[in-house]
Amino acid sequence: MSLAAEAFVSQIAAAEPWPENAILYQPLREDQILLSDCASSLAVQAYLRMLGLPVRVQCRANAEYMSPSGKVPFIHVGNQVVSELGPIVQFTRAKGHSLSDGLDDVQRAEMKAYMELVNNMLLTAELYIQWCDENTAAEITRPRYSSPYSWPLNHILAYQKQWEVRRKMSAIGWAGKTLEQVYEDVSQCCQALSQRLGTQPFFFNKQPTELDALVFGHLFTILTTRLTTDELSEKIKSYSNLLSFCRRIEQTYFESQDRDSQLGASDYSKGPSLM
Amino acid sequence: MGTVHARSMDPVPMHGRDLGIHPEDLEVVEAQQETKKEVLENKDIVVQHVSIEGLGRTKEDYLGYEIADVFNAKNLIDVMTKSHEARMKLLRLGIFKEVEVLIDISEGDDALPNGLDVTFEVTEMKRVTGSYNTMVGNNEGSMVLGIKLPNIFGRGEKLTFQFSYGTKETSYGLSFFKPQPGYFERNFALNLYKVTGQFPWSSLKETDRGVSTELNFPLWMTAHTLKWEGVWRELSCLARSASFAVREESGHTLKSALSHSMAIDTRNSAILPRKGALLRINQELAGYTGGDASFLKEDFELQLNKPFLWGSVLSASLWGGMIFPVGGQPISIADRFYLGGPTSVRGFGMYCIGPQSEGDYLGGDAYWAGGLHLYTPLPFRTSRGGFADLFRTHFFLNAGNLCNLNYGEGPQAHLQKLAECIRWSYGAGIILRLGNIARLELNYCIPMGVQSGDRICDGVQFGAGIRFL
Repeated sequence: MSLAAEAFVSQIAAAEPWPENAILYQPLREDQILLSDCASSLAVQAYLRMLGLPVRVQCRANAEYMSPSGKVPFIHVGNQVVSELGPIVQFTRAKGHSLSDGLDDVQRAEMKAYMELVNNMLLTAELYIQWCDENTAAEITRPRYSSPYSWPLNHILAYQKQWEVRRKMSAIGWAGKTLEQVYEDVSQCCQALSQRLGTQPFFFNKQPTELDALVFGHLFTILTTRLTTDELSEKIKSYSNLLSFCRRIEQTYFESQDRDSQLGASDYSKGPSLM
Repeated sequence: MGTVHARSMDPVPMHGRDLGIHPEDLEVVEAQQETKKEVLENKDIVVQHVSIEGLGRTKEDYLGYEIADVFNAKNLIDVMTKSHEARMKLLRLGIFKEVEVLIDISEGDDALPNGLDVTFEVTEMKRVTGSYNTMVGNNEGSMVLGIKLPNIFGRGEKLTFQFSYGTKETSYGLSFFKPQPGYFERNFALNLYKVTGQFPWSSLKETDRGVSTELNFPLWMTAHTLKWEGVWRELSCLARSASFAVREESGHTLKSALSHSMAIDTRNSAILPRKGALLRINQELAGYTGGDASFLKEDFELQLNKPFLWGSVLSASLWGGMIFPVGGQPISIADRFYLGGPTSVRGFGMYCIGPQSEGDYLGGDAYWAGGLHLYTPLPFRTSRGGFADLFRTHFFLNAGNLCNLNYGEGPQAHLQKLAECIRWSYGAGIILRLGNIARLELNYCIPMGVQSGDRICDGVQFGAGIRFL
């Protein structure tokens, strides 16, 4: 499809209201999904819940390959397929749903900067620990990533993915880092987030934005996921305001909403709880 | 040196150089050496020595089987026929560029008065032959490099390698072929490949990397192939606009399948036959030897040809197939059947019949297709042979159906489903034969029985292919 045609289709899509049967696709929750994908998926779920847009979560072993960008999660709304948080935020805005309309230009720029920080630091650190730390890669990442496939495809695909991520890491200059340096980066990132949050309920005072969804997705997933060591989650646990931030969002947007609607069980895909 | 005086060559099939000796040549030699002239025609002879000259890397024991029959010749005509057959057998091995036959009176101490020596003078193929070419297609170009090593170990083994490097795709194939000594039709092949296919009718792109081993052998009148194939398939959407049903099929799967195919072919030619019949049955069992895909697939092809009035040929063909899932696994879009297009049910778009989603055709679990053709030579042609012989006109009537089955129901319900909503078409056109492997068709088609969702090609349709309904 040409760019013009694509733009035309998204214009038409914008005119349609959000349907009841929107679906979010992610890898298998129990056996397959990795920390970084889980975090991205939870961020999108939190974002849609903050907007009050209903979405049903479906787990597919081939979610990564179904996605138009090759990254999870992606949502199927009407006949549109949109992947990753950034494009999904734009897509909902085109439909008239936005969390950041109340912000002024300076705040919006600040929000974007912090989102970039989270993506560049937390997400990259997650990828590094998953694929570049040989212990984690051998014990957790490769077995989980390849769990839906049969021999010898499981090994081929896991090593192919590992090679791909490692190449990306060396392209951004992370290949030479040690695990300690990466933990230090995470710690610094958390410190920056903690300072920005301060004592406010959300990053921009009373109203949640997509930044809150993104931070929640990553921090909550790191806190509730068991890795080979606890070091990563310990880094976050030393910032008490970030911990209570995660609890607040979990309670407001996941537990209370699930209690309200009886659909709960099938929609609830956040994984374990913080309490 | 004695020579053979050969008269009355009629019973021997003579095609110029094919026999390696010309009666005229013999006459010339005979004229020079009148003294030892002997008439061997109708006399009993004994073939004393059969030898092959010009061998390099070829092992002699491998060729023994091919030429052994020459020893059984009882008279001169026999010697010539059997040498001719042996020559054809040697050429068929694909390891010699040229084979010449020389028949001479035996010489030496043990020479009998009616003894003959047969010598095959062969020229071996080069150890390595290579080729390269470039191809330009829709928005892409590619370079194809081919290397062939015939007779690599001296017993008819062949190693071929083809590599295609394109702006969009790279593909390669490596194959090793080994015939059984003395039984060329019984052979073994091992293949290693990567191929990429784009299927716009399904908005699907498929990349296959695989290994296959194949055993071919004839049994009475039939040719059999037993095959195991292990293939890693990667499916993806051809465009962002692909339907969600196709998107859901994306990803990696591993198929390990055992298959068997049997063919009886009594036709006089694979393309535009005048008489004879073809029956081909394929069966494939996937999943039994591992992998993600598990199903049983059966399909057949039947074709009957009969000469009709004024050089025309009446031809009827029937295809059919069914796929059964094993162990409740859904069947991948890459394994299902497709129907329609200028090579099957004419008048419909290429593989554009049956179940579809948002314009992407998803294939079906079962299908059948039948065709009736009347092939006639071009009208107004002045003479037999020549360029016009490559062409035929034909009138056709095609019908077929493709659908999904509900496997809970019995065979009765399946047949009924296949008999509902039959697509059919009729028309006429011109066919051009390309060698003995492919044909081109230009038809005027009138599609009938069109169901909603089918894509039709009302009017002129062009087709090219190697397998035709």
